Amino acid sequence: MSSLNVRIVLVGALVLLFSFITASNFIDKEQRLASPFWPDNGLRLGLDLQGGIHWVVGVELDVAIQHELEFQRDGMANFLEEDGVVLTSKRLEEGRLILVAGSDEDAAKIRDYASKTGILNEEGSEGNELSFVLTDDWTREIRERTMAQVLEVLRRRIDDPVRGIPDSVVTRQGKDRVLVQIPGGQIDRGRAAKLLKSTGFLEFKIVLDSAGSEQALLEKYPNGLPEDQMIATETDAESNQVVVAYLVRKTPDLTGDYLVDARVGFDQRQRSLVNFTFNAEGGRIFGDLTEANIQKPLAIILDNNVYSAPMIQSRISMRGQITGRFTSQDAADLAVVLRAGSLSVPVVIEEERTIGPALGQDSIDQGALACAVGFALILVFAVIYYRMSGVYAAVALTTNLVLLIGLMSLFEATLTLPGIAGLVLTVGMAVDANVIIFERIREELRLGKSVRAAIAKGFEKARWTILDANITTLVTALVLFEYGTGPIKGFAVTLSIGIVTSVFAALVVTRLMFEIYPGSRTSIELSI
Amino acid sequence: MSFELVKPGTNIDFIGKRRICFGLSVGMILASLIATQTIGVKLGIDFAGGTEIQVQFDPGVIVSEGPIREIVNAVEGIDDPSVVRYGDAIQNEYLVKFKGAIKVGDASVGKDKVEMIQQALSSEIGPLTVRRVEFVGPRVGAELRDDGLQALFWASVVVLIYIAFRFSSRFAPGAILAVLHDLLITAGIFVMLGLEFDLRILAAMLAILGYSLNDTIIIYDRVRENLALHTKHNLAEVLNLSINQTLSRTVLTSGTTLMTLGALYLLGGEVIRPFAFAMMLGVIVGTYSSIYIASPTLLLLETWFQESDK
Repeated sequence: MSSLNVRIVLVGALVLLFSFITASNFIDKEQRLASPFWPDNGLRLGLDLQGGIHWVVGVELDVAIQHELEFQRDGMANFLEEDGVVLTSKRLEEGRLILVAGSDEDAAKIRDYASKTGILNEEGSEGNELSFVLTDDWTREIRERTMAQVLEVLRRRIDDPVRGIPDSVVTRQGKDRVLVQIPGGQIDRGRAAKLLKSTGFLEFKIVLDSAGSEQALLEKYPNGLPEDQMIATETDAESNQVVVAYLVRKTPDLTGDYLVDARVGFDQRQRSLVNFTFNAEGGRIFGDLTEANIQKPLAIILDNNVYSAPMIQSRISMRGQITGRFTSQDAADLAVVLRAGSLSVPVVIEEERTIGPALGQDSIDQGALACAVGFALILVFAVIYYRMSGVYAAVALTTNLVLLIGLMSLFEATLTLPGIAGLVLTVGMAVDANVIIFERIREELRLGKSVRAAIAKGFEKARWTILDANITTLVTALVLFEYGTGPIKGFAVTLSIGIVTSVFAALVVTRLMFEIYPGSRTSIELSI
Repeated sequence: MSFELVKPGTNIDFIGKRRICFGLSVGMILASLIATQTIGVKLGIDFAGGTEIQVQFDPGVIVSEGPIREIVNAVEGIDDPSVVRYGDAIQNEYLVKFKGAIKVGDASVGKDKVEMIQQALSSEIGPLTVRRVEFVGPRVGAELRDDGLQALFWASVVVLIYIAFRFSSRFAPGAILAVLHDLLITAGIFVMLGLEFDLRILAAMLAILGYSLNDTIIIYDRVRENLALHTKHNLAEVLNLSINQTLSRTVLTSGTTLMTLGALYLLGGEVIRPFAFAMMLGVIVGTYSSIYIASPTLLLLETWFQESDK
């Protein structure tokens, strides 16, 4: 086989292969997965095209540092007390722990203890007022640990085995953020937000007193509440009004940390409730608590909100249930949150881009139409302007588009709306390489060169121009990809791949066609 | 014989017009800078932070901006919302924008402003769907802006190095100047028209950077080739010759690119329209600058170097 034939076969095979990959995107996904013939994966659609929820969730890591300092403070206070050291004050101030010792001798003992922990660094002390911060290593450790915990809990909530959301993504983004993506209209954004942001901190507290409102309860204690007690309120989900205010102790009698499972159930009147199960230790504590407080109400508090406060009828140990003013949906979500465990620090939504599925479909339709019309215009123009050579250009441009979409499918790249814009722009610019070649060939013909020589010279001279121009554009596209986020990245991906394929289309595919016809014939006039 | 938009042997004296064009460009850049100072750059929520909600009322619901604005304004925690109709009248779609986050209160008791708006509008006007919600917090907004500017900066640096390496260091300033010129003027026109800057526009700006360079490099390539061929001609003549030789290509490529961008502008939908518009501006300005800014700058630098060599 001649070298030309080899190239025809190679390029032909490549185009066929990519046509096949590109075409597979138009096959229904279910069918594609069921058949062994089509590839399983293809272009992924960005959330802006298929609809869905995109959230960047900020994790409040400073709270974790604060918690750690509190933990250190309490541990240290206990230890020092046993050792007979007098502390006149212990407080937290802007990320530092400040301890005031009664004497120089005590201050020395505190220093000695603090240095042994390996966690605290002394910084900015004055006299007997000692100031400590967490060491850099320990701060990093706390942050990493908190991020890992938050990520794990959020993943368990979104990917819950019972009520999980298919194809959702929960990944870490940067130092203190989590990216959550829920494609399609699988869950409404209000519910998703609740599921995500709920701290999930469950507490059980014996009710000491109650009244119809916070005001009414406070009136019962004209001298103020006892120091270790607080008010917890039950609000109606519909009206957002407080229905009952309870007086409870600040420290919980039992927390959700001992839960092993939580599931939705129904009572005799078909109202939703959440059944939960404790582990052995939790069961023992719960048993003792309920036994000692029969005929008293027990407040079930989630994130400082009382869900219900049923009267304890008898000793309960391993299992219990939460009833309250919630719908079956709320109950199901509550069960998910309880199963997944609690977040150790609060999270906030820092960025949201939620697109309705119908809008996504509209965007796809409009983008596809714009692409098709733009492409058709260019093909028509090329054929009118360059005639037979224009047909070559049309073939090269079609190959370019097929390769571009095929490569993106192969890499499982995500096609976004800006990506479609990039696609249309690439189509517009892809003709450039062919124009450069054709104009060069025309110039050579004008100089009186033979058809064959003009083609050879035209390609030779155009080659480096095309490469130089496209390499610079490729370089900017890669920088965009590196620094860009969201739409910029989507655009950069399409543009980068588009540049590579359009150079290939012009320098290899168009060239090949000129070799097939007019080839080495010298007497034939070139239609260009 | 075939079609030819630019007749062979065309010899337009581009370089001779360089002073007029420099003047025109300096004028446009000044106008752009003045516009950014007086009118001010309107930042979209991507950079400024805030919330944007696109709602579509069911067909048959009769509504206008005024009442929507009043109802949204009455929602707790929302001040001074802006309401504009989105797309065609037949769509019955509106865009509600306001500063600040979508949530009020802390995580556990926070009420969702989007839901509150949806409830208020549906009870007072009629059934509707929330088509899109975008919220960008202040911290994220600042980061997106910084990332974008960094991308622009590094892209310019890398290109500068590439041109200096492939051509000669004297070619690089012209290309960079042309790119900056294009970005400033496109941005200036945007400001003058009162259009908003968001991530899509930033993407368009970066695409303009790519396009403008592409154009400049093709002319430079011809200049380099002609410099080797026509050693007797002076640089101004070589530049004119090179621009004229590549003019046909310049017109054709800009034309086809504008054609597809036009399709995108007309058919691509409301979200893409600002991008397509910015790109069209950029292609026109970018084509102009490759001819009238990049090449004359090269001439200016060469003359300057020759004189300092003497």
